[in-house]
Amino acid sequence: MNTRFKKVIGDLRADYTKNFMLVLAIAIGIFGIGAILGGYAVINREMTVNYMSTAPASATLEIEKGISTTLLDSVRDFPGIKAAERRATITGRMQINDRWYPILLFVIDDFDHLEISRFRHLSGEVNPPEGTMLMERTALSFINAKEGDQIIIKTPNGSPQSVTISGTVHDPGLAPARQEQAGYAYISLSTLYRLGETQGFDLLRIAVSENEYSIDHITKKSEALGDYLKAAGYNIHEIQIPPPGRHPHQSQMNTILTIFILFSFMILFLGSILVATSMATLMVKQVRQIGVMKTIGGTSIQIAGLYAMMMLILCVVALVISIPLSRLAAFGFYSQIATLLNLEITDYSIPYYVPLIQVATGIVIPFLVAAVPLIRGSRISVRNALDSHGVSTIAKNNSMGSKLISQIGFLSDTFRLSLRNAFRQRSRLVLTLGLLAAGGAMFMMAMNVSEAWDKNLKRIYIQRLYDQEIKLNERINVDSLLIKIKGIPGVKTAEGWDYASTSLIKESAYEITRTYPDKGHGSFGITALPLSSALLNPTIKEGHWLNIEETNDVVLNQLARTSEMKLGDIISLGVEGKPTSWKIVGFVEDVGSPATAYVSLTTFSKLVDTKGKVKMLRVSYNDRSHESAMTNNRQLEQLLEREKISVGSSTPIWLLHNAVAAHMKVLVNSLLTMAVLMAFVGTLGLMSTVSMNVLERTREIGVMRALGATPNRIRNLIVWEGITIGVLSIILAFLISLILSYYMSRFIGNISFRTPLTLSISLPAIAIWIGIILIGSYLATIFPARRANKVTTREALAYE
Amino acid sequence: MNPNKNLIELSHVSKSYAVASGTFQALKDINLSIRSQQLMAITGKSGSGKSTLLNIITGIDKPSEGSVIINGVRVDKLSETELASWRGKNVGVVFQFFQLLPTLTILENVMLPMDFCNSYPKKERKERALALLELVNIKEQADKYPSALSGGQQQRVAIARALANDPPLIVADEPTGNLDSQTATSIFQLFADLAKSGKTIIVVTHEKEFSSYFENTVGIADGTIPNPVNA
Repeated sequence: MNTRFKKVIGDLRADYTKNFMLVLAIAIGIFGIGAILGGYAVINREMTVNYMSTAPASATLEIEKGISTTLLDSVRDFPGIKAAERRATITGRMQINDRWYPILLFVIDDFDHLEISRFRHLSGEVNPPEGTMLMERTALSFINAKEGDQIIIKTPNGSPQSVTISGTVHDPGLAPARQEQAGYAYISLSTLYRLGETQGFDLLRIAVSENEYSIDHITKKSEALGDYLKAAGYNIHEIQIPPPGRHPHQSQMNTILTIFILFSFMILFLGSILVATSMATLMVKQVRQIGVMKTIGGTSIQIAGLYAMMMLILCVVALVISIPLSRLAAFGFYSQIATLLNLEITDYSIPYYVPLIQVATGIVIPFLVAAVPLIRGSRISVRNALDSHGVSTIAKNNSMGSKLISQIGFLSDTFRLSLRNAFRQRSRLVLTLGLLAAGGAMFMMAMNVSEAWDKNLKRIYIQRLYDQEIKLNERINVDSLLIKIKGIPGVKTAEGWDYASTSLIKESAYEITRTYPDKGHGSFGITALPLSSALLNPTIKEGHWLNIEETNDVVLNQLARTSEMKLGDIISLGVEGKPTSWKIVGFVEDVGSPATAYVSLTTFSKLVDTKGKVKMLRVSYNDRSHESAMTNNRQLEQLLEREKISVGSSTPIWLLHNAVAAHMKVLVNSLLTMAVLMAFVGTLGLMSTVSMNVLERTREIGVMRALGATPNRIRNLIVWEGITIGVLSIILAFLISLILSYYMSRFIGNISFRTPLTLSISLPAIAIWIGIILIGSYLATIFPARRANKVTTREALAYE
Repeated sequence: MNPNKNLIELSHVSKSYAVASGTFQALKDINLSIRSQQLMAITGKSGSGKSTLLNIITGIDKPSEGSVIINGVRVDKLSETELASWRGKNVGVVFQFFQLLPTLTILENVMLPMDFCNSYPKKERKERALALLELVNIKEQADKYPSALSGGQQQRVAIARALANDPPLIVADEPTGNLDSQTATSIFQLFADLAKSGKTIIVVTHEKEFSSYFENTVGIADGTIPNPVNA
């Protein structure tokens, strides 16, 4: 073996602990990149594979009356249409342990020949017999049922009936049932009739044969088909064109995963700073040896090569450790996300470019960051190297800071010296502070965002002063019903509201929405409420709330607002097949709602000609706790049953809260995990810096000991130096975290709710970080302090 | 090499350093010629400039003025990289504190200069290093690390390392300053033997009791050598 290589190995073996920390610092970054990038690559691929495996419809045309097979055949022959199917979707309710949950019933024409919006058969019947249903796999675990079980289901016009689960399916186009707090089932038309409904297939799902990813092409083709159907005497209610080829959660998921990747690179970068500071330590430690090697014939390049080889070995060890672990973590990560998105992983392989990126970044970034100390150290002149006695004292102790420290009278001499020592190597101090502050800032930011997320979710209760929303299947006069509801013990108040699905009418003759087949993602609705309502408290962002009856004023929430809209604009909304004109008087924030246009109930009633009848009830309770709400809901349900009111859906606010919370939980938790990793790397950095500071002053410590400083005093000096750096970093970290939290809260809020999360400062985060830094500083300095005290005074004085 | 030929020629060499209070003149107009194959000493009090003079001769430091010719090479004109390579092949340096690399064994320490300068074929390096260790009577410790050796033993290893690339010139800066007198005697005896075998050895020392070993002694005071010396 080459003698130089033996020196590298010897040096690496000389300080296992330190080198292990360096390997760990690099490995954490590479691990993060591999885990997130691997997870991202698999999820991105599988999201597309899963979604496209369903052969999603290019568009769904909602037609007023049932679609006949003859009409369907003619649509199939329509130019530019590759496939067409007729469907129906009914929102019913299912009873689970005395509680009613929404269930979306997809009525399928031909289970054996699904061409559009396909789902994968998992078990049981493929073609569910009459009176039975196939259930989406995530709904089974949500309602704790299994194949063969019977579920009570009630559709809008039917009475509660028992339906057997005859099989299970997987539909990757739907979010998990628990997340939506709803069930999904697939039934035949005969089962729908048996449930008490009379409607036929009213949804025409089409797939275009060309330009299938062009929304413009799909829109034109759908409009042309709409014209054809209109001419054939069919009225088109709405045309739903979701973003082609894109899973409902694709863009949010991509954005969030991109942030995580940035975090991972940040960790690697921080780890590399740590490597750079440690490399600088090594160079300080080896400066004499460098001088000697140069004296015996070593050139700067040979010496730089030697330390570069050392770096390379550290990086390779870090890669060897972190790549397999990161693949395991990636598996865990994408499995979690797959569960979150109801995806089935079809191919577990992580693309080859992920380990390649890990290898490239795991070597290039540490090398780039460590290049400065490495080159500077290896280029030092022989004389300077041989003359090196550690840290220079010229000029630095005459600085303003040093003078200021001298003037602070109440400080003990030890503490004053610790303060001065902390500032002696300013470039190193800046690196360490940067490392710790970045770690702390990210940690606090993650906790702040997590808290802001929770607070924002609580706004669901603040903005909604009702506790139960009941959507009725038909409009009724609710005056007497409201009196009876208000008579239920625990009910504070009840109001009759109205609603309708809507769309922004631009140039098309049709209502075109971006709604996905689950009717939730991308939906847009009008909510009509009495202006005197005490049950809604949205946050006004611009303009004002509705205040004049019988006007066409409209207030839009953040999801309904488009970038070009401003106060005073007149917009056209399609309501029950008719275009209606509205003037925007306000914009509000309304957490957890889909896109909503709020209008006056009086105006809405006139427009739709409801004759004073409404389709929605909103009820508030005196006690808003979960338990109390559940008791009140049961009483309310019983009253509605007694009164034979046909209920479409009944949604408690806590259910909405849980559904929204479930959407981001995994991601917020992942953010926190990243933050903890950063905290760890930061503490390693502190340890490295203090070790280096102490090492450089070995001789100085010897002098202090010779002058009578006790080991205790020396230890205190070093520990206080570390704590000083730590405390400074906390202040910096806090300030940076405020900026980061502000932007990250805006970002996370905007992608989840289209409204920024309010900046929140998590006091536990500050307390935890202070704890980590103080304990970390103590632990990081106690070892160098012990080492300093282990060196005898004679050895320290002789230290070269 | 012809023993009467000058190995080292310093002409009007001055060296000054910038210090906090201004400029410090370490060497002033030094003219010195040293012939080859001898053991000679440079003596002087602490701060007299003897180590600076040695640094100039070894190319560790460059003169502010004047020329330095070693074995026909104008050393003061060489770049840092050229100097490292030149020094490795032409000068062996022995330090007061031995300066062996602690993570290499004794044998590896001696092999390292050959590795840096690629001066001997790889296969021969070990054999040569062992021979040098034998020459300095330390071969049996070849596989030990420096920390396991006494000061005298470490200095012998340092001498073996200085001889690794068979340089014509060995310079030693107070090589016995950290050793007891018995060990110091054995080191000076080793230097004398090496000089007899054809090496030129310059030792910086202020230990007068070993003056009998030196063929020539150059005294330096306040950065000057009183008269031009042809040692």
